[in-house]
Amino acid sequence: MRYYLRRAAFYAITVWAAISLNFLIPRLMPGDPADIMLAKMARSGEVTPGVERTIRLLLGSDTDQTMWEQYVAYWGNLLRGDLGVSVTKFPTPVVELISAALPWSIGLLGLATIISFVLGIAAGAWIGWKRGTWVDHIIPGSTLLQSLPYFWVALLLVYGFAVVNPWFPRIGGYDVFTFDGPQASWVFAGSVAYHGVLPALTVVLSSFGGWLLGMRNMMVSTLSEDYITTAEAKGLRRSRILLGYAVRNAALPSIAGFGISLAFVVTGAIVMEQVFTYPGLGKLMITAVQGNDFALMQGLFLVITLTVLAATFLMDIVYGFVDPRTRHNG
Amino acid sequence: MIRRRARRGMALAAALTAVTLLAAGCSGAAESEGGTVDRTLNVWAGSATPIAANFNPYAPTVLHGALGPVYETLFFFNKAGSGDPEPMLGESFAWNEDGTVLTITIRAGVKWSDGEDFTVDDVVYSLTNEVGKSPQLVSAEATDETTVVVTYDSPQFTNESAILGGAWMLPEHIWADKSVEEATTWANEAPVGTGPYTVKSVSEASYTLVANESYWQEGKPAVKEVRYLGIDANASAEDLLKSGDLDWAGMFVPDPEGVAAAGGPAGYVNTPQDPTVLYTCANADLGCEGPQTDVAVRQALNVAIDRGTINEKAFVGLAATISPTFALLGRDDQWIAPDVEKESPQTGDPEAAAAILEEAGYTKDADGVYEKDGVKVELSLTSVEGWTDYNDAAKLIAEQVSAAGIKVTATTATWQEFSDSRVSGDFQLIMGGIIGTSVADPFQIYRDWFSGEYTQPVGTELEPGEWNFTRYSNPLVDAAVAEAAAASDEQIKTDAYAEIQHEITRDLPYIPLVINATQTFYNDTEFTGWPTDEDLYAFPPSWGSVSAGYILANLEPVE
Repeated sequence: MRYYLRRAAFYAITVWAAISLNFLIPRLMPGDPADIMLAKMARSGEVTPGVERTIRLLLGSDTDQTMWEQYVAYWGNLLRGDLGVSVTKFPTPVVELISAALPWSIGLLGLATIISFVLGIAAGAWIGWKRGTWVDHIIPGSTLLQSLPYFWVALLLVYGFAVVNPWFPRIGGYDVFTFDGPQASWVFAGSVAYHGVLPALTVVLSSFGGWLLGMRNMMVSTLSEDYITTAEAKGLRRSRILLGYAVRNAALPSIAGFGISLAFVVTGAIVMEQVFTYPGLGKLMITAVQGNDFALMQGLFLVITLTVLAATFLMDIVYGFVDPRTRHNG
Repeated sequence: MIRRRARRGMALAAALTAVTLLAAGCSGAAESEGGTVDRTLNVWAGSATPIAANFNPYAPTVLHGALGPVYETLFFFNKAGSGDPEPMLGESFAWNEDGTVLTITIRAGVKWSDGEDFTVDDVVYSLTNEVGKSPQLVSAEATDETTVVVTYDSPQFTNESAILGGAWMLPEHIWADKSVEEATTWANEAPVGTGPYTVKSVSEASYTLVANESYWQEGKPAVKEVRYLGIDANASAEDLLKSGDLDWAGMFVPDPEGVAAAGGPAGYVNTPQDPTVLYTCANADLGCEGPQTDVAVRQALNVAIDRGTINEKAFVGLAATISPTFALLGRDDQWIAPDVEKESPQTGDPEAAAAILEEAGYTKDADGVYEKDGVKVELSLTSVEGWTDYNDAAKLIAEQVSAAGIKVTATTATWQEFSDSRVSGDFQLIMGGIIGTSVADPFQIYRDWFSGEYTQPVGTELEPGEWNFTRYSNPLVDAAVAEAAAASDEQIKTDAYAEIQHEITRDLPYIPLVINATQTFYNDTEFTGWPTDEDLYAFPPSWGSVSAGYILANLEPVE
């Protein structure tokens, strides 16, 4: 029990530090959002004095407040679930923007990460099991895919399967030419899945190689353990040795890593979402950074840090549960 | 125990795979229909996802669909050509002698999309509300059912297009009780306008406008639905354009012929509008430092630059020729004085540049760079990182002027650094833009970008609305600008402009380079009525404010 309490206290302090940093960082950044927005509009040619006054009104920062007052107000708002109003997507509240994007990111990237993990682990286990045969040649190929940047894979897929051969849609999370907005119907769900294929493929292709390599290496070292030899000597079935003895032990480090990578799902694959105009969080992040949209940026960082912390916390708990050694040695 | 868990894991994996496969199989159903007469017109006006519903014309994040398609102005001024303003919600207007009183007659029988009548009260509200009103406005009063008299404290001839063609007509019965703050922050998700369209639906990926059945122009609009898409990357938009998914887009495509060749819309028009120039911090009296404060250096740069090559290499040959008078060639020709250079030289002439410098007392040093009083003609030229056309042009300029004994070092800066330096005057040369005027008259450039009243000393930031980054200040120009502002007579205006043009073509605070391309692609096989090269009845890009609504109302689906 003391183990769990200790972990909980540790995470509480981390959350407080993360939220405070989240408050501080945007305020240390240079640049005036009003100027940036004005100049952006001037680039496209139409800035009337009225619009200009409006922008100053909206973005003119309240500098009379002290840092401490702002900090207190920030916590107050946070606890009320109020993350402010986005400037670049004015006047939509940040909470609304994030909650609209979150399902897309989790749905697509979560699923893709799980597929990639399962695929990588299964293939890694198999290759490790068959070590020394021709299957070893798969590894360089998958590692190569892993080393390609996300956006490059995405662009290649777009070029190959959306532009040259228009089998898959070019943009969007669903067919924007048919649907005026998300709706609860099977046709819509089908459209969502269809639009998710290329983005998901991008993620799977460029990440499963890592799981595969890690798993295969763990398999190789696990298979040389004494208890495997013992199991073989007992005359157990090969499949039992593979799944019950080798895979279960070899997968432990990968499962820890999986927790982390699930947490990073919320950050979205920033460039991938840009390429596919996919309505996820990564896309929001770009918008926020480009527009010096502090409220949106803070909201996103908050969601990301909290998810990462929650996921690692969960993994800590699960680990303490699965592997008693972690509980006693600390 | 162990085995059971493993099996459950396998089942999960199998289920996931099945879901994915099933989903991929459904794909056929999602194909969009096309080719029908009543099909939706798909537009990209530059919006990126997620789209946030905002149809408040006073909000900075207003969606393009509000500006023209939903809300209208009193008159329509064609930015792409000369000619008289087209009556819209206004029927006629007249100025008094000195340009301080404007009498507007409004169109009778126009209805708001909620069924209320459009009245003079709406006009008065739209011109006098705190957010939309002009700073020079004294009063606006309705004298009868169709007449509004607007009074200003100074001559407003030159603001004619801003007042009549830029002020959005808003329904007083809905807006009147909004405070200033509400009027700017209200998202106005279901706008009530007089325009050809009303809002049907908004999602984070797109928004759809539907024809306003009670539109005041009989039988218009013929295109019943318009969908504005959100697209995040220019490359994606280009792909969609080429595949024919977009019917109307105003965007830069380096190879415009490729769009139709790839199966995209065949209609294409390039309407260059906005000048690209070198800002020079020109005025030593206001604190500018560097060789460019000497007019001879600016003149030498002007003739040494090879504009033809810059257009060809940096702007893929799509930019247009610039006039050093900053009148838009073709559209504003009537305003160009006969005795000034009409076009900037298109080829570089390093000898002429060297001659100018030598005449001004510069001598060449051992490195082949001119100097005077021990100060070398060495300049830094900044362009914004990532604006590749500008970065390339800057490098070309550095190369070209070195032949004339001028050393220019091209560097890049972030947008923020660029903005700070031009606003505070802390620069030597900057690759920058000038905003083209929205009517066939260069006045706004002369006043906002050249007059000494629109600048501040170096180190002091320019006020909002001041655009004279070069710190140029010339009493002759200021006087001529004031004269032109108060002139109702064309001849007085022409004379004043000639005076300005003589000064600025000699002093060259902004060294003209090219006029940027403004490309528009449109589907003219399924829709007709677009502005074309032969008939530029409106500024064609899909993002054009006011003009987009005017064009949409004129489109017709091909039977």
